[in-house]
Amino acid sequence: MQILPEAPAGPARERAARSLAFGLPIEVDPGIEIPGIPDVDAPSLASRPPTRVRLDPTELERRWNGAELPPERVREMRDGETVLLTVELAPPAGYLLHVPGFGRILIAPEGTELICDPEPGSSQWSILLPAQALPLAATLQGFEVLHASGVVLGGRAVLFAGPPGAGKSSLAAALLYRGGVELLGDDTVALHPHGGAPIAHPGAALLHLRPAEHERLSTRELAVLGPAATILGKQRYSPHVTGSPAPLGDLFLLERATHGPPVEHIESVDPFALLASTFNLSVRTQERLVRHLDLAVALAATGRVHRLRVQPGMDATQLAEIVHEYLLEQ
Amino acid sequence: MASSSTSNLLTARVRLPQHVVHRSFVAETVVLNLRTGKYHGLNPTAGKMLEALAAAPTAGAIVPELAREYDVEPAKIESDLVALCQGLLERGLIEVVDADPA
Repeated sequence: MQILPEAPAGPARERAARSLAFGLPIEVDPGIEIPGIPDVDAPSLASRPPTRVRLDPTELERRWNGAELPPERVREMRDGETVLLTVELAPPAGYLLHVPGFGRILIAPEGTELICDPEPGSSQWSILLPAQALPLAATLQGFEVLHASGVVLGGRAVLFAGPPGAGKSSLAAALLYRGGVELLGDDTVALHPHGGAPIAHPGAALLHLRPAEHERLSTRELAVLGPAATILGKQRYSPHVTGSPAPLGDLFLLERATHGPPVEHIESVDPFALLASTFNLSVRTQERLVRHLDLAVALAATGRVHRLRVQPGMDATQLAEIVHEYLLEQ
Repeated sequence: MASSSTSNLLTARVRLPQHVVHRSFVAETVVLNLRTGKYHGLNPTAGKMLEALAAAPTAGAIVPELAREYDVEPAKIESDLVALCQGLLERGLIEVVDADPA
């Protein structure tokens, strides 16, 4: 099956564009196109000050070298000996995200400024913005970002959290094919505590599936998912994403299992399962740690946390049907 | 610093440091040490003990009420309480201060 090429980049803008994702109004300098985060009209932006995204390797270097303390590595992802991603913290410069082969992004301590330094020749460096840097910035601005996919159904956010490979993205995609829902986010969903009644904010209009799944998609399903591209061994799509935040409805914790009912309400939620659903392992300020814990309390207090058992042979379409019927019964 | 021996623990006043926060869930209490960034889980009984400790003049003062509530010998509560306090002390989740003069 042919992979559709990405739309060619248009001419560089002459002025900053304004966007909205992860609850953040974003001002993007000319020359940067953030995948899955389109420009929006200024009046639709939230009231908080914009988070500015700009290309300025020289300024990044100046700030990072001017840090008062030596950098502390707060996150590292490896594949064997190969370093895939690092995040270092050095006040007052902020958090430096580095993904070899893509580039570096310095996120100011308040999360309101992102300074980019793409690696020469990297055509896909800007995927770091929706995939890592903006979720980190949202965390610094008071959001809690879950490692989850999510849709909006009946005006409420329905989230799917679980370990990598559990099927979060496939399930969100299957619900999109089924219809009647809008995508909220894939892999990351920003929640604002909102006084204990969490509000889920849309992320990037991106969704990633494994190539084998891509091969099985029908023409209609491909049309639902939008333009496709290949990145890091996965198929990336650009489906429509909801334009508005939604109050949290239900949270499903996905797990691989060989027996038991496919879905069941959890009366007594394991708080550590909720805490482990975070996307952010880098921001360890006291304020954020308390917020992380308080969000777990709020999620448990909703009384709408469920276990979704993915059993051998069960595909995403079946799971989507199970989830949909279960929610209708609630 | 006060000794953490059994007798001293029961007569000492125990408090939660400012860098420790805790939140109760249905079947577990999570205690967060903000200095280390580590979360610790307590079962409901231990969670109840922690809350009572924070408000009591001495650790031993909570023994009679817990013995009544759980219908067990005070000596059993005392030994469980001391074990809990020692575990919390080792993790920096409580502090032992002088016994309340009142």
